Amino acid sequence: MRRFFAGIVVAALVGAVAACGSSGDSGSDAGGGVDKVKVGVIPIVDVAPIYLGQQKGFFANRKIELTMESGQGGAAIVPGVISGQFQFGFSNITSLLIAQTKNVPIKVVANGVASTGKTGADFGGVAVGKDSPIKTAADLAGKKVAVNTLKNIGDTATRESVRKAGGDPNGINFVEMPFANMPAALASKQVDAVFVVEPALSAVTSAGGRVAAWCYVDTAPDLTVAAYFASTKLIADDPDLVKRFTEAINESLAYADAHPDEVRAVLGSYTKIDPKIRESLTLPKWPAEINRSSVETLAKLGAQDGIFTGTPDLGKLLP
Amino acid sequence: MKWLGAAGLAGLVAVVEVIPRVGLVSADYLPPSSRIFAALGDEATDREFWQAVGGTLIGWAVGLVIAVVAGVVLGILIGAVPLLRAATASTVEFLRPIPSVALIPLAVLLFGTDLGSTLLLVVYASFWQVLIQVLYGVADVDPVADETARSFRFTATARIRYVLWPTALPYVFTGIRLAASVALVLAVTAELVIGSPGLGALIGVAQSSGAVPTMYALIVVTGLLGVAINLAARTVERRALAWHQSVRGEVPA
Amino acid sequence: MKRLALALGLPVVLFVVWFVASYGSESFYVPPLRRILGAFADTWTLERLRTDVLPSLGRLAVGYALAATLGIAVGVAIGAYPRLRAAAEPVLEFFRAIPPPVLVPVIMLFAGIGNGMKVIVIAVGCVWPVLLNTVEGIRAVDGVLSDTARAYGITGVARLRHLLLRGASPQIAAGLRQALSIAIILMVISEMFAASNGLGFAIVQFQRSFAIPEMWSGIILLGLLGFTLSMLFRFVERRALGWYNGLREAQRKGS
Repeated sequence: MRRFFAGIVVAALVGAVAACGSSGDSGSDAGGGVDKVKVGVIPIVDVAPIYLGQQKGFFANRKIELTMESGQGGAAIVPGVISGQFQFGFSNITSLLIAQTKNVPIKVVANGVASTGKTGADFGGVAVGKDSPIKTAADLAGKKVAVNTLKNIGDTATRESVRKAGGDPNGINFVEMPFANMPAALASKQVDAVFVVEPALSAVTSAGGRVAAWCYVDTAPDLTVAAYFASTKLIADDPDLVKRFTEAINESLAYADAHPDEVRAVLGSYTKIDPKIRESLTLPKWPAEINRSSVETLAKLGAQDGIFTGTPDLGKLLP
Repeated sequence: MKWLGAAGLAGLVAVVEVIPRVGLVSADYLPPSSRIFAALGDEATDREFWQAVGGTLIGWAVGLVIAVVAGVVLGILIGAVPLLRAATASTVEFLRPIPSVALIPLAVLLFGTDLGSTLLLVVYASFWQVLIQVLYGVADVDPVADETARSFRFTATARIRYVLWPTALPYVFTGIRLAASVALVLAVTAELVIGSPGLGALIGVAQSSGAVPTMYALIVVTGLLGVAINLAARTVERRALAWHQSVRGEVPA
Repeated sequence: MKRLALALGLPVVLFVVWFVASYGSESFYVPPLRRILGAFADTWTLERLRTDVLPSLGRLAVGYALAATLGIAVGVAIGAYPRLRAAAEPVLEFFRAIPPPVLVPVIMLFAGIGNGMKVIVIAVGCVWPVLLNTVEGIRAVDGVLSDTARAYGITGVARLRHLLLRGASPQIAAGLRQALSIAIILMVISEMFAASNGLGFAIVQFQRSFAIPEMWSGIILLGLLGFTLSMLFRFVERRALGWYNGLREAQRKGS
């Protein structure tokens, strides 16, 4: 009995030491030295540029020691940025617009990822099964469509696709489930269509499915899909760090856009995407500029679809 | 009788091998056992995998110890003093059902995606398991034994040690065993949803990458950890409770 | 009167402390309590209670009942036959260790995305305390009592009913109680996937759309719900285990 408790105490001590060791300092140290920066990202294809940029030293050159913290979604990343656990975060535009209407104290600092703008070759779309009767976007009216988050960019873009094809977007039944579960749900006909992005898109198409609506392309030309953001407090306290980070990100985005093979290679370092799929999946575009008019379109659509009450103040949100 | 347990597990492996091959479910979404084990073999050679296992175990162990110590101390205190028990009953009943997952934003605010946020969820969930069991245990004290101890002028500490503790001990161990499994589940859940380092985070990455056999392999590891923890808990329980009815009854006379 | 004061005392104190401490809070994720209370009144109208809370409760009830029945039935079988226990235990421990958010996608494969899936998730998750405690309770039935019953020729269903179930009922009750709190947690988790209504669904949607005071109001409602169900359970338990409580009371007061 005594030995048991002794063992537990030892284990607890070891654990406590390990815990102290692993929780490093999260702040940046003022001027002169290197800034330690934590970025909250989701381990998906979209954030390949920041990993590539770190590899190439774009951040180290600007005296930024970068650590990527994988969160599993905005729910974990936004609170982290606000409380100062992370200095920067990655999130899709619609979530940022919603946050803006609720006066969450964050601001976009750099572009994150954009649609390729090419029908037939984009990194996201609404896909249907092999023998689905749905042929065009208009056929999606009244059907059950799976999206990864309700009242977000997925359903907004889908509705716009249907609208542009002349269908009625209001009768669509949206169901929420993670991307990973969508291929199975589509195959077993639990849903009629799925809004997917890479790599789940490749999983669906290789199982025989096809894309019925290229919703990112339909929503706006060269749609900005996601962006890097920071808390307004950090921007006020350390504008120099924000400026350097933004420059590094822009350099990384440009490099990633120009070197797709290196992007595919770096994907292997932070995801478990199968190497064959890595070679064949459609990469998004990574422009260094945020397409302001596409963000305005998303804001307009969001207000129209009732995703947020009131209109987001883009002047406050965008750099 | 030890091999019976292994036989049960072998049966499960066989079923999972057969179901996708027979076509009940597509092999893309539920790969057969052989493919899962192949992915498991790949993972075992990956250093990142072992770091993740360590991360999960640390979160589990530290959280469990904190929860057990707090649960036992508070349980005995509250259980032995009727006034405290009555006063805290409603608060306990209110706080208990709040799901740990609802605390996630708070955890991230306080600890980011570090070990701390895992610990917050683990401790919060496991603490109640231990507390409730200890309360039941203290309530089950044989009144005759208690009165006898009192009439023999045992001090409060002595009464706790010789009367309360042995009665409560089986309940405490059930509580520890339940808390141990809840702690593991919450540790992996926290890692999955928040992204703090550990098996759950790896499962999340495998899921979003569409690496299905790897995901199942990691799930198998989680399950095996649970089995190992249960075995350890039962062994400890058997040693400490050798005098109790439920254990004695199984040893041949 | 004294009982009421005791029951309300600590919660009221904590409530006041929370109210005062957060009065001027600027933090986005921890708003002042008065904002949360305001949001509570606005959000949880009778209409919303009907469309969100009622379906959740319904699924909870069915899932819990399923878990209770299955847990007790299988628990009795396993507890009474040591060989069966030895064979089944590793498999049960294996499944029990898998976190529900991970298991949900697998369950979705077999059970679809409707109410059935959510009920199964709740049942699969909260059956464990019932099962475990039933097994423990059966094992701990007094040996002398058991032999006496056998000597008197009490076997089969009568033995099950009067000896095994009765004797194990305090432990089974403890298990059912824990299963209830786990069931509520799973009710929330099951509504994070492919859901379109429910209390857990509402809380998660509030969190996603940064409606933080509403999110906290939902959490408070969840706590109230759990509290009410727990009180209900306690009431039923006191009735059903009257013989056990009475026995202990008599031993305490008398002798």
